[in-house]
Amino acid sequence: MSAYDPKKAAQYHDEIHAHVPSEPALRVKALESLLVEKGLVDSGAIDAWVEIYRDQVGPKIGARVVARAWTDAAYKTRLLADGTAAIKELGIQGWAVGHLKVVENTDQFHNLVVCTLCSCYPIALLGLPPSWYKKEAYRSRAVREPRAVLAEFGVDLPDEVVVNVWDSTAELRYLVLPQRPEGTEGLADEDLAALVTRNSMIGAERELPAPARRG
Amino acid sequence: MDGIHDVGGEQGFGRVEPTGEEPPFEQDWEGRLVGIFRAIARPREAEWNADKFRFTREQLPPIEYLTRPYFDQWYRTYAAMLLGSGLVTAEELASGHSMQPLSPFQKPMSAADVTTARDVTERFDRHYAGEPRFAAGDRVRAVLRGQPGHTRLPRYVRGHVGVVVALHGAHVVPDENAQGRSIAEPLYTVAFALAELFLGRADSADKVHLDLWERYLERIETT
Repeated sequence: MSAYDPKKAAQYHDEIHAHVPSEPALRVKALESLLVEKGLVDSGAIDAWVEIYRDQVGPKIGARVVARAWTDAAYKTRLLADGTAAIKELGIQGWAVGHLKVVENTDQFHNLVVCTLCSCYPIALLGLPPSWYKKEAYRSRAVREPRAVLAEFGVDLPDEVVVNVWDSTAELRYLVLPQRPEGTEGLADEDLAALVTRNSMIGAERELPAPARRG
Repeated sequence: MDGIHDVGGEQGFGRVEPTGEEPPFEQDWEGRLVGIFRAIARPREAEWNADKFRFTREQLPPIEYLTRPYFDQWYRTYAAMLLGSGLVTAEELASGHSMQPLSPFQKPMSAADVTTARDVTERFDRHYAGEPRFAAGDRVRAVLRGQPGHTRLPRYVRGHVGVVVALHGAHVVPDENAQGRSIAEPLYTVAFALAELFLGRADSADKVHLDLWERYLERIETT
């Protein structure tokens, strides 16, 4: 086996382009059958991973963490001090949360998370990233004109609120702790978690709506 | 590398298209690809890691990087890594069939193994014998140099002054890791004022924070 030579990557990209089927679905099917024949993957393991990231791991997990921080001040302190250890208390571990940093929105500060160089994201907490998070429009502009980007998400930020943008350039991953909506006193963690959106945990949403009153 | 992927602060990409809830995979093949990514027996000899994956993706021809769907880029990246490590040939990728058996180096993960593997939380901090050069509160300048290989120092902060807000111990340096060398160095969170980074933002109090390795930073001499 020859050693991987990164200098040749462009050449490999061209070679692939010239050979492989033009339909992505067919390319990936060919890749899977080839890797199975080579003994490099087991299709049953692929099925299991698909089920995990399609059906099990998603923003609901992050929402549980947020709700817990809203109702348990000591937990919130631990979460802000060491995100990875605090989510592990709730049984949350896995892909891309080995160095979790939780950043808190306040009346004075708003936080916005981006990965300008690729698409780094706390997957075990929020699932796979949404389409806009991976696209150049968001990645390029979040660091240069965060307020304009927020406005496109419908967030009208008062001038006095300072924006802190977090560009995930290393293996630290960021989770925004949104502010607890008013009128939610006495709600159980489970009901609070239902109010927390994916976008609010990235910082692309600020004011979570209060729950509708039961009539 | 100074490539197309380094889009922070670039202009002309247009409006963001926000979405509410959306399925993780629009099409089944995208899920299969993520499954392959997680399930594959990683060739240890070739020292595959996340930085190698990123570096290989960065070397997609720029027009492909900007126009190919996200997971199709993953396909291209993985195919290039398999090809580069001599595990498959382009003909095999095209046909989907093995023409040359591979001497097995590692048993692939089974469905039962996934239950354990899903909870594996990888860490990137390592023991470091040296003393960190900077401390919280220090003003530092991001180095202003073109980068030949993989790097996680984006262009939009190079040459600019920021303030160290945190030290995270020593983390594996991506510039080295992408080449198969596991070397750790102090990692800092550095805050840059928007007013410092971009013209026309002088009145802004907003800040951008980046996690930067020690080699990306220079001390600012105080006079």
